[in-house]
Amino acid sequence: MRNKSIAFAFLALAASVMPAAAHAFLDHSDPRVGNTVKSSPSAVTLWFTQKLEPAFSSAQVTNASGAVVSTGASVSGTVVRVGVRSLPPGTYRVHWKVLSVDTHTTEGNFTFRVDQ
Amino acid sequence: MIRGRTAAFTIHVVLPSAETIMLTRLTRAVLLGPALALVPLGAGAHEIVGNRFFPATLVADDPGVNDELSFPTASLFKNSDVPSVNELDIAVEFSKRITDDFALIVQPTWTHLYVPGGPLGNGASGFQNLETTAKYRLYKNPEHEFVVSVGLVAEWANTGAKSLSVDTFTTYTPTLYFGKGLGDLPDTVWWARPFAVTGVFGYPIPSRSGTIITSVDPDSGGVTVDNSPNPRFFNWGGSLQYSMPYLKTAVNDLGLPDFFNHLIPLVEASLQTPVSNFAGLDLKTTGTINPGVLWVGDYFQVGVEAIIPVNRQSGTSVGMIAQLHLYLDDLFPTTIGKPIFGGPVTPAKPF
Repeated sequence: MRNKSIAFAFLALAASVMPAAAHAFLDHSDPRVGNTVKSSPSAVTLWFTQKLEPAFSSAQVTNASGAVVSTGASVSGTVVRVGVRSLPPGTYRVHWKVLSVDTHTTEGNFTFRVDQ
Repeated sequence: MIRGRTAAFTIHVVLPSAETIMLTRLTRAVLLGPALALVPLGAGAHEIVGNRFFPATLVADDPGVNDELSFPTASLFKNSDVPSVNELDIAVEFSKRITDDFALIVQPTWTHLYVPGGPLGNGASGFQNLETTAKYRLYKNPEHEFVVSVGLVAEWANTGAKSLSVDTFTTYTPTLYFGKGLGDLPDTVWWARPFAVTGVFGYPIPSRSGTIITSVDPDSGGVTVDNSPNPRFFNWGGSLQYSMPYLKTAVNDLGLPDFFNHLIPLVEASLQTPVSNFAGLDLKTTGTINPGVLWVGDYFQVGVEAIIPVNRQSGTSVGMIAQLHLYLDDLFPTTIGKPIFGGPVTPAKPF
């Protein structure tokens, strides 16, 4: 009986302090990671698993030679949107680095292709 | 967490007189066999290195330093005793960061040994010796998804149940851990980029070079005293993982159902090779191979693996291990989930 009471108390405590944030990981993107699009997108949009701190979250897009081809990023909630110039056919890499509202920083990168 | 095999050959005292014949035989089996807790329980901490998420593994400790709770890790298998007995282990592992790179880990394990098919309640139960680890993240390279940590594992003498014949000496194990993601492979082999490997190497150092073993013959009542050396082993192991989350978010989003995008199939190995101080003993490399799968979420992961002994000296049949692992740094980021000193690293403005 005492053990049950302790277990319930632990669960209640855990539930009461459960936060609503964790590490923010990339959930999906448009264009999709590793995929090919038929023509240049006007922007690259990244959806994350947690709400982001806009001041410390951003992304940029580079071409195969490493030159930046993005025009700036905006952050709202769990979404980062990166504007890009008109992209000729080729492979592009998206670099992102974000801070979730619980202060965890994560970063990553991926590529997508614009078709010939 | 790889454990030393020293425990297997340094059982100190057995007191069967007050037990049933069944338990006496079981205890004698523990004496004769070297496999108590051969399958290690517990896990390391998850680690994020650039694009790479290294999950907490079940058998071979990984390089992660974090705030975590494995609650519980449970395994059931037939150990290598002669004759073999069933061993049920239930472990809890709590890892607490002192600084961002340094953590202290405590891991109690409760064990139940029983004869397969025997009467209900037969066997021996109790806690094994308490194990603690001090772990420091030495190097982290996000670009190449590479991380190295060092640790000192201590199994403390006489902190476990005498019915399990726990070690009467303390064992210290300096340990090296590493993790490497293959995300820097060229795009021509894009399908291999979700692979990652982890490794762990340890050298257990017992606080005594030998142990006096006292045993009682259950039939004649005669007492036998033997001075047995504490063999030295080299512990080694690791994991090979294929990360479906990595495939989706860093390589190629195949549009798979969400459940599959949280899976990490993996194979772990945990092995112990005798290296010295085992003259007269017929010792071989022992251990287990553990294929299985993890499901990783935002706040926890669950995992299940098979326990496949590499030879008769490692076990007699395939067992099972399962774990629920909580990410305390994500569950409680402002309280018990952050380092005691230092707190979160101030983020730099990206780009």
